Amino acid sequence: MTTLAPTPTTAEQLRARRRTRGLLGKVLTYGLLSLIAVITVYPFYWTVLTSLETTGAIYTPKLLPDSVTWRNYEAVFSNAPMLRWVLNSVVICFFGVVGSVVLATLAAYPLARMRFPGRDLIFYAILAVLVLPNEAGLIVNYITTVKLGLLRSVPGEYAAIVLPGLASVVGLFLLRQAYLGIPQELIEAARIDGASELTIWRRVMIPLALPSITAFAILDFVATWNSFLWARIILNDREMYPLAAGLLELNGLFSTNTRAVAAGTVLTIIPILLIFLFAQRYFMRGIEGAVKG
Amino acid sequence: MRRSEEVLPPITQRSGTSWRVGARTTLIAYAFLLPFLVLLVLYHFWPVIFGTYLAFTEYNVISPPRWVGLENFRELAGDDQFWSGVYNSLKYLLVVPVIQFLSIGVAMLVNRQIPGIGLFRTAYYVPVVTSFAIVGLMWTWMYQQDGPVNWVLTHLGLMGQPHSLLNNPATALLAVMFVTLWKGIGYYMVLYLAGLQGIPRELEEAAVIDGASRWQVFWHVTLPGLRPVILVCSVLSTISAIKVFEEIFVMTQGGPAGSTYTAMYYVYTKAFQDFKYGQAAAAGLVIAAISLVFGLINFRLTRGGKGL
Repeated sequence: MTTLAPTPTTAEQLRARRRTRGLLGKVLTYGLLSLIAVITVYPFYWTVLTSLETTGAIYTPKLLPDSVTWRNYEAVFSNAPMLRWVLNSVVICFFGVVGSVVLATLAAYPLARMRFPGRDLIFYAILAVLVLPNEAGLIVNYITTVKLGLLRSVPGEYAAIVLPGLASVVGLFLLRQAYLGIPQELIEAARIDGASELTIWRRVMIPLALPSITAFAILDFVATWNSFLWARIILNDREMYPLAAGLLELNGLFSTNTRAVAAGTVLTIIPILLIFLFAQRYFMRGIEGAVKG
Repeated sequence: MRRSEEVLPPITQRSGTSWRVGARTTLIAYAFLLPFLVLLVLYHFWPVIFGTYLAFTEYNVISPPRWVGLENFRELAGDDQFWSGVYNSLKYLLVVPVIQFLSIGVAMLVNRQIPGIGLFRTAYYVPVVTSFAIVGLMWTWMYQQDGPVNWVLTHLGLMGQPHSLLNNPATALLAVMFVTLWKGIGYYMVLYLAGLQGIPRELEEAAVIDGASRWQVFWHVTLPGLRPVILVCSVLSTISAIKVFEEIFVMTQGGPAGSTYTAMYYVYTKAFQDFKYGQAAAAGLVIAAISLVFGLINFRLTRGGKGL
């Protein structure tokens, strides 16, 4: 600010000044973008480095590992039921996602495209779920799960984890929104051709709503894979934990070996990161749709 | 299955069978809805109803609930632990304006077509798709006395000497709040980005042609255009700030010295450690009421407020 330029005399000077200002703006923008990126990404990067090291001060900030080894990963697998937790997560995610996608795609259809008594009442009741206080939800769902006797067998325990999340109100709204955008003529044409409602749902609605269904499925997969609280509350048997819940168990198990916990952390996050990177577009669309819908 | 449905008259058929068609449609509609509704009632409505009832009882799962009237609420009123939980939850509300302000800023920063912007958006979004189990562990490490956060703070001269930030009652809550912020910004960024892209570009261009400064365009065109999104985001973040739990569960368990003990943590300990389900349900009801009130205040502020 010390060199206040005199009024520009030539167009040449003016252009040059604009160019420097543009360049400065670009540098500033990218600098700021990079700074935020470092803040959001560094903890992940640090965790990966730590999981690969064997010795040295654990917590110090670093940019490169002091040494590289898979020993911590081996330690996680040999001391904790990692494979079992992965299997649990896969089973829970499979049934959880397939279940909530099927239920939401089914339930949204009549709400979007049929006329029947009680429709508005049901719609508003579902809306109310979003608003109603649900703080005691955890407690009552725990009691329900116990009373249903779900904790007595392995399939029951899986069901105990999956069932509370199956009726997804967000999914219902997303799909209702998607169905509402499908032209009525298509449905009428199918009806005139004698298609049953189930056929219309399967052959007309589902294909046309596929982008929204995919978005919801990915959203739901991420949420299911990441959840740990409910599993930790209802399950006594640690072998039954999904990976995210097991990770916290690992932290207690390896209280002296942070590197092994870091290895477990990396293993837990890899699947979700891969899914996210491949399906980002759908994922973000799902988030936006959930609010707009 | 198929054959019977072919009998279903298409819309060309009239009056005489229309009642039957209506009944049929109703039946089909409910068949589609049934599985969803059953689970919705069991896991969403029932908790609200039964939870409200439990708040007026003494219950430990083994013996049936015993009606105690307002006893639980009276006990809550005299329970210092509960109130310090509520106090910490209210302190947590400080996250809300910060997170909204920053995510609007970040959204504006990434709302442009420049090379590599997709990469940055992805980087900002990674914390959102990560479980609190992971996030909590990672930040526990980041906050260690010889860890990266201390290194940055001391090198910037913001702190004289390194502390274990999560073990210090003066800093623990702030440290956890920062994690909430760190994980949440990407989420709200996407929502604001959608909002920004919904504002017609012509509006901003017209303002620029009329000689508005960048700041004026932001204040008079962009911000009003974002108002509906700001409303949604601030209500969402207010309610989740009051109910904050998972970060605390993973990182501090309410400590040290109760400095991160929030209202929801109280509900959790009452229910799943002390097995006082009635007391926990009552506390849950009070928290629900508080978050409802703050949600409404937020609603009024963002909608009725002239400033925004």
